[in-house]
Amino acid sequence: MTARPGTRRTAAFLLLAAAWETAARAGWIDPFYAPAPSRVASVLVSLFVQGDIWRHLEATLVSAFAGLLAGVALGMLLGFAAALLPGVAELLEPVMILLNAIPRVILAPLFVIWLGIGLASKIALALILVAVLIFFAVYSGIKEVDRRLVERVRTLGGGRRALIQEVYLPSIAAWVLGNLKIAVGFAFTGAVVGEFVASTRGLGYLLQFAQSTYNAALTLALIVLIMACALVLFALAERLERRLLRWRYV
Amino acid sequence: MLRIRGLTVAYGAEPVLDGIDLDVQVGQFASLVGPSGSGKTSILRAVTGLLTPTHGEVDLGVHAADVGFLFQDDALLPWRTVRENVTLGLRIRGVAPEAAAATAQGWLVSLGLAGLEDRYPRQLSGGQRKRVAIAQVLALEPRLLLMDEPFASLDAIVRMRLTEELLTWVERKHLTVLLVTHDLEEAITLSDAVYVLSQGPRATIRAAHPVPIPRPRHVLASRADQAFAPLLQRLWKDLE
Repeated sequence: MTARPGTRRTAAFLLLAAAWETAARAGWIDPFYAPAPSRVASVLVSLFVQGDIWRHLEATLVSAFAGLLAGVALGMLLGFAAALLPGVAELLEPVMILLNAIPRVILAPLFVIWLGIGLASKIALALILVAVLIFFAVYSGIKEVDRRLVERVRTLGGGRRALIQEVYLPSIAAWVLGNLKIAVGFAFTGAVVGEFVASTRGLGYLLQFAQSTYNAALTLALIVLIMACALVLFALAERLERRLLRWRYV
Repeated sequence: MLRIRGLTVAYGAEPVLDGIDLDVQVGQFASLVGPSGSGKTSILRAVTGLLTPTHGEVDLGVHAADVGFLFQDDALLPWRTVRENVTLGLRIRGVAPEAAAATAQGWLVSLGLAGLEDRYPRQLSGGQRKRVAIAQVLALEPRLLLMDEPFASLDAIVRMRLTEELLTWVERKHLTVLLVTHDLEEAITLSDAVYVLSQGPRATIRAAHPVPIPRPRHVLASRADQAFAPLLQRLWKDLE
């Protein structure tokens, strides 16, 4: 009998943590660089006990969500426009290809200069990361829509409206939702990196602070916290996708 | 009813179809057979308006809304349930949801799909998907039915059963039908007239044969009819 993959993964993780803990306690590794898991855990707990963490979590999540929503909306709008209007496509495609090719986080300093060190610059970074992704999902999605479905609706007497309602919108919904998990990750990345560059609040700010004070335990604690947030958001995105794209998972 | 005159279709410089003339009388079941690549499908696509011919005329003889088209592949909307797929054409035509659902239910029962109404296409077998596609088209009560190798992708048993059912529907409703197929036996079994298309490019109608088998027909009985074997041999010769 084989254990479930989840169980095996948890076991592997615990084994690694135990080895790390043992190595730290035995003095084989320098706690200044690699503090024991128990030390990281206690820093993590104290963050929540002191309660200061909440306003940082809030800042990051607000930036990430606002950037995600605005990015999905903007990406869909531009993707639609480019797919339907050839003039818009000519204008947008080179810009989007360029933005897609570069690591878009390099725009972070520019957003700080333009929008200040408040939430706006983080939202803008999350937005640009997400919007480019969604743009290509919608744009290429519309261009590659299943021709057989289009012909079927047309031979049943459907016009433009029926095509949009019965074929294009559901196809786009499928592509956008299929990219939702990646988009959530991008939005979170945008928010944290934006804070890392310049801010007064947020997990990225705390991370920057921990790094500047050479506090490895706090750094690791924050990394664990960010991973946990990302996993929760991923799970939520997956549930949403499975609910809205039920036809794909039945 | 359906009149095709001088239909020429060219994708590049050389025409695929060159001057096709074809007539299907009211209530007639006509088949169009020919080697693959001869442009059989292009004829149907030109008739439905999915393709604009280079030359020639197509007169449907009925309003475009009275034409039903059964495709080779069963392209159902994957995000719609069986019921929603069957009501698709009705909804497009503005039939009230309750009335559309009632009509669809009748067809679902007739085609042996009762109990599968809320399934999605990917939960169905190939034969079931084909039945949904048939229900979707028949629910609109077409007067002219165009079919492009509708059963090509099905296994022999399902194919036989569906052919038999289709035969019953066509005869009961006195539908006018143009079927495109490469299956000569299927063409003879179902049709009143078989048109043979020559090898493309520049394909033309090479021959037209009436099928003297009495109706109502049944698939197996038709194949045992004394007219069946000689006609099959004639068609084979025409295709050589």
